[in-house]
Amino acid sequence: MNPIQKTFIVDDDPIHQFGMKRMMSRLAFSKEILVFRDGQEAIDAVLDLLNAEEQLPSMIFLDLNMPIKDGWGFLDDFVKIPHHNREKVTIYVVSSSINPSDMEKAKQYEVVGNYIIKPINEEVLKEILAENLYQ
Amino acid sequence: MSITTDHSLLQNCPVPMALLDEDFSFIDFSEEWLRQFNLSKAIKGKSIFDCMPELPEELKLDVNYCLEGLDQRSDVQRILSKNGNAVWYEWKISPSKTEDGDVNGVILILEDVTEKKFKESFYLKSQEVARIGAWEVDLIKNTVFWSKITKEIHEVPQDYVPDIEKGISFYKEGKSRETISRLVKDCIEQGQPWDTELQIVTANGKDVWVKAIGEPEILNGKCIRINGTFQDIDKRKRAELQYSEVSDRLALATKTAGIGIWEFDIPNNEVFWDANMYKLYGIGESDFTGVIEEWEAFLFEEDLKMANLAYKDALNGIKEFETIYRIKWPNGEVRWIKSEATVLKNEEGIPVKMVGVNDDITELKNTQLELVQSEESLQGAFENSSVGMALVAMNGKFIQVNQSLCKSLGYTEEELLKLTFQDITHPDDLEIDLSMLHEVIDGKRSTYQIEKRYFGKSGQLVHVFLTVTSVRKINGELSHFISQIVDISSRIKAENKLKGLLQVTTNQNNSLINFAHIVSHNLRSHAANLTMITGFLVEDELSEDEQVATLGMLERASGGLNETIAHLNEVVQVKLETDKKLKVIPLGNTVEKVLKDVAALIHENQVHVSVDVPQEHQVKAVIAYAESIILNLVTNAIKYRDPAKAAVVSITSTMEGEFVVMKVSDNGLGIDMDKYGEKLFGMYKTFHRNKDARGIGLFITKNQIESMGGSIKVTSEVGKGTTFKVKFSKG
Repeated sequence: MNPIQKTFIVDDDPIHQFGMKRMMSRLAFSKEILVFRDGQEAIDAVLDLLNAEEQLPSMIFLDLNMPIKDGWGFLDDFVKIPHHNREKVTIYVVSSSINPSDMEKAKQYEVVGNYIIKPINEEVLKEILAENLYQ
Repeated sequence: MSITTDHSLLQNCPVPMALLDEDFSFIDFSEEWLRQFNLSKAIKGKSIFDCMPELPEELKLDVNYCLEGLDQRSDVQRILSKNGNAVWYEWKISPSKTEDGDVNGVILILEDVTEKKFKESFYLKSQEVARIGAWEVDLIKNTVFWSKITKEIHEVPQDYVPDIEKGISFYKEGKSRETISRLVKDCIEQGQPWDTELQIVTANGKDVWVKAIGEPEILNGKCIRINGTFQDIDKRKRAELQYSEVSDRLALATKTAGIGIWEFDIPNNEVFWDANMYKLYGIGESDFTGVIEEWEAFLFEEDLKMANLAYKDALNGIKEFETIYRIKWPNGEVRWIKSEATVLKNEEGIPVKMVGVNDDITELKNTQLELVQSEESLQGAFENSSVGMALVAMNGKFIQVNQSLCKSLGYTEEELLKLTFQDITHPDDLEIDLSMLHEVIDGKRSTYQIEKRYFGKSGQLVHVFLTVTSVRKINGELSHFISQIVDISSRIKAENKLKGLLQVTTNQNNSLINFAHIVSHNLRSHAANLTMITGFLVEDELSEDEQVATLGMLERASGGLNETIAHLNEVVQVKLETDKKLKVIPLGNTVEKVLKDVAALIHENQVHVSVDVPQEHQVKAVIAYAESIILNLVTNAIKYRDPAKAAVVSITSTMEGEFVVMKVSDNGLGIDMDKYGEKLFGMYKTFHRNKDARGIGLFITKNQIESMGGSIKVTSEVGKGTTFKVKFSKG
């Protein structure tokens, strides 16, 4: 019944990780939720899935400000993946930055579905879910 | 029969006379004979031709003729004496006869007429040379005689027959003819002689000046004849007239020009002045008696010395007398006089007279003085101007430069005068300068102004504001240029400094904007967490375990918020307080202190630390910042060491201009500069999954360094190590 098989949460903040996981489980948002602490871990996981010819996550909730590789770094690496392999992936940027230049920059990436300003709440996640069901 | 007598009959005869017999022997002679021919009485009885061998052959012939019966012989002969003198003899010979008429001898009168003859020929000659002719009017026969020269003067042929009317009609109509008519009339009627100079018109129509002298011959109270001379004086007269004309003109000129003429009779110490001289000296004629001391009294003392020197030089023939002196008029007025003179010398070469002129040159002199003053003030302005000034030749060569320019460029005057402006102009500015200059040369403009750069002597750039003006000769041709050069190097320097400051301010503004975003982001991330967690807590569906976990989260979130605020405060402090605390500190000491503080850490991780910071390297810094910076870099080097290698950290410093550059190098993990270079010094950026990485250290370090006027750069290579280069302001 729920079409979302796999969701990635990429954020170095354990509180955010905790909150996201809790809200998603209450909504039965996705069959599988994977959490990564930084962009590097996340892109590595994506590449692993591709290599294993497994399904990529339908959604990626991506923080911008992270150590090692930040959200921008992840996006830059992700868009290098051939389009047909990632066309079903939607990335949501989730950041506490309200800097307009960050929002503007995020819109430049076709793969980014929306820019969500923290704190995220269940209503937002419900909307996203509804959009996906409609599709 | 022979004539023999002891008594001399001829002895007292006043002429040289002798009685000869048929054999030419002296029978008798006069004393005058002996005296004239310098002979003694011993000649008596001796042959005349033996006693006087110089006598000419012609005389002997004449004596013979008379002895043979001819009545009388006379002649004049020029003979050459033995000593080469030419002598003229005039003789008269008569036969002496016996009572019955036989010739028995001759009477001879022989005179030496050399002198008379000479005078006569000289007279004729001189008359001819002087063009003096003679004339005579016979009033009884009513005839007129003109001599050869007289006819020549009238330019009539020699066979011309004049008469009184004709003679008078030759005089030029008007004054000349009226005068001669009157003189002739007076002479005839009153017996008055005349001596006059009049003009005639010759037969060829030429005007000629003549001097006519007429002397009447009076018989029985009546003038019967007039004799006279007639002289061509045309040349002299014309010269005379011309001279009088010239001297009239000169007198007029000197009077008009105010030039005075003077004469100084040297032996008699007498001075003669013309009328102008009195005017020049501001006195009347009666105020000057003509002694040199009176003149001297007019002169300024020092000028008199000079004039006297000039006078001596002139007398000694060293140079012509020419001097300028000041005189004081009786009314106190001071005038400048230029005096020039010529020295006249007598036959022995002794100076006897000076003739000269005085000219009042006061106006000229005043103008000259004004000119000199204005030139001097111009020169002074040129020399002492704080603006660099130069006279530049058409080819760009410096003709004259002032000290100001020398100072700006660092060249001496001598060095600059060997250069052209092209030599010292920055190549990038030469083209515009030359093209402007050519517009001036082509007459399109007379002046131009540009900002340009010169190279000073030591190669330094000298920024100037140049104004070039052309100077033309009277004929309009370009002569040279005047360059005014304002040294704006310090202005440019200040401008650059200002630009630098502006850059710093811009950077600071940018960093402030960044900082604001960072603050907003960091605070918001904690706030967002708090909101989220609080949201969970207000729901009542939480299990007990979940509640405990959520509360733990809440505590972490508020702790994080606190920490972030502390960090931000730290950064704000750096930005606010640096200026007040800058001190000069020895870098070496600070390094040493930091290393002591972290000695345990170094030891624990077995890091080899080498330090090469010279004692004399002092930096301008806030002590706490300097320590914090060094501590941060050293601990970073240790933190990110490569566990596979023995860790080595080196700290060195070098001088670079106004800065002391400290390098902290390690052989640690290194940073991928392509990926992280830009973000290295950002807040909360970490690039290693190191447990201590907080992402705040380098951000604060950078802020501290920049707030002290320094900078930080990094070079790094993954697997090889990292070098941080910190620039401190020199202390």
